[in-house]
Amino acid sequence: MKDLIQPWKEGSAKNITFIVTKDCQLACKYCYLVGKNEKERMPWSVAKAAIDYVLDREKDPNFAYESVIWDFIGGEPFLEIDLIDKICDYIKTELFRRNHHWFSSFRFSFSTNGINYHSEKVQKFIEKNHSHLSVGITIDGTRRKHDLNRVYKNSEKGSYDDVVKNIPLWQSQFPSDGTKVTISSADIPYICESVLHLYDLGIHQVNINCVFEDVWKEGDDKLFDEQLMTLADKIIDGGKYVDNACSFFSENLGKPMDCKLQNGNWCGSGKMLSIDAAGNFYPCTRFAQYSLRDKEAWIIGNIHDGIDNNKLRPFLTLDRCTQSTPECIDCEVAEGCAWCQGENYDAAKTHTVFQRATAICKMHKARVRANNYYWNKLYRKLELEGKREEFEKNHPNVKPDIC
Amino acid sequence: MKSYLQYLVILLDDTSVAYCHADNPLKERNLIPIDTLRKAILFGMKENLMIQYVYPDYELPAEYEEVIESIDNVKIGREVQVLTEVPKFIDKDNVVLRLTISDFISKSFDIAALLPQVKRMNICIRDVENFKDEMQEDYKRALNTLCSVLANLYKSGKQPQVNILTDRLSLTEMHNCEAGIGNITIAPNGKFYLCPAFYYDEKMGLSNRMNHKTKDSSRSVGDLNNGLNIPNKQLLQLDHAPLCHICDAYHCNRCIWLNQKLTWDNNTPSHQQCVMAHLERNACRSLQLDLIKVGNLSVEPIKEINYLDPFDVKEDF
Repeated sequence: MKDLIQPWKEGSAKNITFIVTKDCQLACKYCYLVGKNEKERMPWSVAKAAIDYVLDREKDPNFAYESVIWDFIGGEPFLEIDLIDKICDYIKTELFRRNHHWFSSFRFSFSTNGINYHSEKVQKFIEKNHSHLSVGITIDGTRRKHDLNRVYKNSEKGSYDDVVKNIPLWQSQFPSDGTKVTISSADIPYICESVLHLYDLGIHQVNINCVFEDVWKEGDDKLFDEQLMTLADKIIDGGKYVDNACSFFSENLGKPMDCKLQNGNWCGSGKMLSIDAAGNFYPCTRFAQYSLRDKEAWIIGNIHDGIDNNKLRPFLTLDRCTQSTPECIDCEVAEGCAWCQGENYDAAKTHTVFQRATAICKMHKARVRANNYYWNKLYRKLELEGKREEFEKNHPNVKPDIC
Repeated sequence: MKSYLQYLVILLDDTSVAYCHADNPLKERNLIPIDTLRKAILFGMKENLMIQYVYPDYELPAEYEEVIESIDNVKIGREVQVLTEVPKFIDKDNVVLRLTISDFISKSFDIAALLPQVKRMNICIRDVENFKDEMQEDYKRALNTLCSVLANLYKSGKQPQVNILTDRLSLTEMHNCEAGIGNITIAPNGKFYLCPAFYYDEKMGLSNRMNHKTKDSSRSVGDLNNGLNIPNKQLLQLDHAPLCHICDAYHCNRCIWLNQKLTWDNNTPSHQQCVMAHLERNACRSLQLDLIKVGNLSVEPIKEINYLDPFDVKEDF
């Protein structure tokens, strides 16, 4: 299987996210953004103040990274393409004017629903900034899988047709960028057909994840296991492992973990900075109010008063074992079991980021079983074909997708 | 080592004296019902807890005193005097000085002058959040002023204790406040709280984040009828505090109320709490060296360190 492409400058890039709008054309049924609205659009004055705040602090430990990824998120970010264009122009100009070290190492990153990808304004923006862009379009798989969840707001109309028509254009512009697929309970029966469909569309990298929320029903793990087994057979028997990657199958998965040697946090919350339309700062977008069901937003500062480092300390001291249950710590298949810090906070019994949500436990275990099957089958096939050595040489370990 | 419940703090009234970091903002008297008091004492007896009564500033009805004396106890606000101003004289052996950071710094000579009069002085800063890095030298100087007097007293055979300076002298492991794990508070409403500050917050309608009013401001962790129910109790233990369990400022209060107020998480101390505790630790180290030199002390030496906030060196552990 082809290696998943690693995130740009992973670990050495500061991620700064602009929540440019909380509006979206879609109302996806699994969307964790519970507070989407049309009102909270980022004004230019807030965006500019946020950029100035960040760039004024080149030596600040919070921003002392070799590179920077300016991330744009919504809602649907491309609804605010005029603002985004202005922001990116300003960033480039200021990086140059200030002789900032990020001038030689920056990226603009987008995750879009793809609906207005072909529009003139978006295309003009892409043309202007192409060498600094990474763009991911979310398409969930086959029409019936995609339209099950990704429907227009105020209607049940699916968005598949409007997205899929833009895939060739996107692929031609960003051939190495992948898509993110989200799996909820109702999607399980369509996993196999959807991943294969995405490969057929020319998307070689499929990042696919189960939602972290507590949505799973009795028997979902068994269905999930079956779907992944079928998918494994199709990928291996069809030779699709050569050119494609699917994040469900990873060699670094399903082993016990050590609390001293493997105690890192899963995600980068706290090392990222998210900014909303009001100019508030968050440790990650998932801590903004529109992402939270039951908890208050975790605001760590704002464009006027700056960052309150005390509010960041819990995030920067988080480790795996402190937030995990004894069952998770002792789990024999712990490796690769993910969590979302925002969901942990939202689902916690108290006001803390140190209580790990475990709703995906049985889904992870099912994934591990199917993953073991996948690698055992693939390696046996490669051995019989005398290609295992070559495969292992050319195929570094697939890293799990981390937000 | 895990901590286990040893103390029951009983707030006798809403206006019971504040004796730690948090001020008591409650002004209206609300005496604990005598039946609730009896139940609280019974709980303490059955759980084998040492009772600490926290008194208001008025005399209690005689029937209360009779119930209060039905078990061995400590009386905060009576035999332990709690002051928010620095007095000229102290007529109790055991005193709590609750001061602002600026008062502590500016009145350190007056505080030092009180040391010969007491057996134990607990100094509690009421506004830790106002401590700024620019105050480090002033705080250090104020601590050293007290240390000089303490050193002379120790050399002359007197050994008054000052929580922030002498407790660390002989500690070899964390000895913190332990609210919720080593002690628990019962309020006049018959409910349990991690410490009195959480009861004040609930009465004031403050949320978990403490800077917001919210309709859900419940902070109780059980009641006398149904027993204790502390969610995420493990996060109160030292082994679930990533910064604290690498730290050797063993005397630090490790105040979880301050943690929640300033960092929003029970198990994460603020920069201010860490820096102040380390300045105290270092002042204690100087005192220790001084006492060891003249043979007044035989304890494990406190190591020299080059940081004031373990957060800055957490990667080294």
